[in-house]
Amino acid sequence: MKVSTVAAARQIPMEKKKPTTILANLKRYKLLYLMIFPGVLYFLIFKYLPMGGLVIAFQDYQPYKGITGSEWVGFKHFIRLFTEPTFFMLLRNTLVLFAMNIVLFFPLPIILALMLNEVKQRHFKNLVQTIIYIPHFMSWVIIVSITYVFMTVDGGVINELMASMGFKKISFLTSPEWLRTVYIGQIIWKELGWSTIIYLAAITVVDPQLYEASEMDGAGRLRKTWHVTLPAIRPVIITLLILKIGSTLDLGFEHMYLLLNSLNREVAEIFDTYIYTAGLKNGQLSFSTTVGLFKGIVGLILVIGSNKLAKKMGEDGVY
Amino acid sequence: MKKKLICMVIFITVMSTLLSACGGNKANEATGNAGTSGSATPAGESEKPLELTWLNILHTASPPTDVVKSKIEEYTKSKITFNWVPDASKEERITTALASGELADIVTLTMMTNSSVRSSLKSGLFWDVGAYLDDYDNLKNIPAEVRTAASIEGVLYGVPFQKNLARSGLVIRKDWLDKVGLAVPTTLDELYEVAKAFTEKDPDGNGKQDTTGFGDRSDLRYSSFKLLSSYFGTPNGWKVDESGKFTPEFDTPEYLQTLNYSRNLYENGYLAKDFAVTAKTDQQQQFAQGKTGIYTGMVDIKNLHDLSQGLQEGMELVPVNKISNGDGKYRVWSEGSGVGGLLAFPKSEVKTEEELKRLLQFVNDLIDEEVFMLMTGGIKGTHYEIDADGAFKIIDLEKWQADVQPFASSRPSEVTFSLKDANPEKEMSNQLIKENNDFAVLDPTVPLDSATANEKGTEMAKIITDASFKFIMGELDEAGFKEAVESWKKSGGTQIIAEYEEAYKKAKQ
Repeated sequence: MKVSTVAAARQIPMEKKKPTTILANLKRYKLLYLMIFPGVLYFLIFKYLPMGGLVIAFQDYQPYKGITGSEWVGFKHFIRLFTEPTFFMLLRNTLVLFAMNIVLFFPLPIILALMLNEVKQRHFKNLVQTIIYIPHFMSWVIIVSITYVFMTVDGGVINELMASMGFKKISFLTSPEWLRTVYIGQIIWKELGWSTIIYLAAITVVDPQLYEASEMDGAGRLRKTWHVTLPAIRPVIITLLILKIGSTLDLGFEHMYLLLNSLNREVAEIFDTYIYTAGLKNGQLSFSTTVGLFKGIVGLILVIGSNKLAKKMGEDGVY
Repeated sequence: MKKKLICMVIFITVMSTLLSACGGNKANEATGNAGTSGSATPAGESEKPLELTWLNILHTASPPTDVVKSKIEEYTKSKITFNWVPDASKEERITTALASGELADIVTLTMMTNSSVRSSLKSGLFWDVGAYLDDYDNLKNIPAEVRTAASIEGVLYGVPFQKNLARSGLVIRKDWLDKVGLAVPTTLDELYEVAKAFTEKDPDGNGKQDTTGFGDRSDLRYSSFKLLSSYFGTPNGWKVDESGKFTPEFDTPEYLQTLNYSRNLYENGYLAKDFAVTAKTDQQQQFAQGKTGIYTGMVDIKNLHDLSQGLQEGMELVPVNKISNGDGKYRVWSEGSGVGGLLAFPKSEVKTEEELKRLLQFVNDLIDEEVFMLMTGGIKGTHYEIDADGAFKIIDLEKWQADVQPFASSRPSEVTFSLKDANPEKEMSNQLIKENNDFAVLDPTVPLDSATANEKGTEMAKIITDASFKFIMGELDEAGFKEAVESWKKSGGTQIIAEYEEAYKKAKQ
């Protein structure tokens, strides 16, 4: 946000000069351009150039024949994607999980960060922070394995405990009703602590004078949090929310792939797992590229849309 | 992840165009052996050894050491560079290798039904070796049925791995059977009784009901379900009648019977409750720890016994495969009709016919008894010995596992020679596997090709797999399962049936 204002400020003197051709511009700021050159080159070579490969979404791509030799099939794969019943299942599962993620997970780090901010004992605060960061560094394989050990029907700790208390055993791992709960629960367990970092950082830059002023006005802790801290970190919250919305269809492959089985597939199969099985395991490169392309386009639209919306509401947005 | 996947696809694309342009010349350098047609002696006396690369599947935890490899190289006058792909990740690795063109002189292809493997075979990526086989002493002995089964639309794109027709079978705790006073089952009803007794009659005698009859895992094909279904008389994959009409196995009454049988087992707790989320290693552990008493997979019998050491002393096992549905007839499904895959030679690496012939000579030599023994048992006296009864015995298990075991699954033929195993249980299961040949049920679609099945057969199979699991676990009734079958037909099944019928007609002519 700040960067853009700085750039805007720079442009003002430039506009005063009469012939602002690109060449003159290049000459004038050659050092700046030279500095940005490696970065641009990186993006061109490693990000934009490979995008050319997306054309295989419109082909029946055969590796042996290559892009030049493969048959062009137009929108065949898109038609297949949108007409297959799986598509709506994938879309529904992805959207439901995304919504749950926003509603159940997104506010938690903010609340936790606000609570941590109120801890006055510095050592205790640091200790808690360190402890809650740790799960972030575990891989999904480990987390899902731990859950597996806890939740199996035969000998899982939770089920045995419930059985001994007279409840019925629940097959958490295979029933479609529990999949989403388990999924979100694992995300909360793993990422909650780590996600507080940005909020905590944002909180530290809040002007202490504001707190002093509100104290003068007789505000208690709760009021200070609500009227000072929260508004101060609002831009950060909105930025993160926009970024999150941009990755709506992008739930992450690894986590769900580990949870997926024959019995919960109807709620567990998402675009990422589908691309993996269809593309990498079954080698339908063109079709899975189509799915990936679709996901990318939807993500782009959502980012632009939510950014516009944020700007309309008077916020900064991400760009 | 999205970006990663897209990147990967793109990477593959870019690499494939690059690599197809600069495919390897490795074999080129080492030839000079033009037109060696098959003589029994390993080719080339004075010339340099054949340098070759081999993209191969690894069924063990780590690749073999050089001990046996150098012996094989010596015999076959070659220098082998292996590129091992672990079996567990073969699907994505082989698919990626095929897509990127990063292949080797010899490529082991085991997933013959995988659509990407099929389409790359059909696209002409590999040499058609059909015409050459008869020039080699060992290769010419590959029976016509095996060649047919390994062909796609009549073309043989590699040297088939020859395996026994069917290797599936049950392993049952013999000591538990004795404890509960039951005989080795011969019918499905008796088998059900065994599972029941193993669960309810406390076969391990610890006073607690902590055992389950059937151990199982999240796999319908290689674990018990498919085996049980062939006991019931379900066709293997597809049924084809005299008029050439094709019916998928899950549309037959026998399949439904199997579902009901498994469902009963599950509902009564005779089948492990967590089977739908159990992995193979866990299933073996459960068996070795004495938690379950019936295991599917006769080939693992010795492995199971080894695993149980220190956990279940006095464990006795019996391989069982003669189980009928009451009519006294035995059936067992055959994997790939005795074809374990192909040793294929990509045209991008193997440029000329001469190179191909030299490689075929190499594969041919691998079938020779000397190499077969090297790949099976290792070095006599170091890894194994033949005892007074002529039985084969491994003397240093650890050494064998490190030096030899990984090669065992790369043998081009497992049927040319047979060994008598010194371990009686293993020997019994070997015998049963041989007997399986007499009542193996073949899949009629193995040599046939269906474009729809290639494109989305694997995806569609999920509909049936999921419905079967749900039925067994009581979450779906018969009407629900029928619905799943209908939905399979609608999403392309009807087309697959038509395509197979068409291909079958063509092949018959």
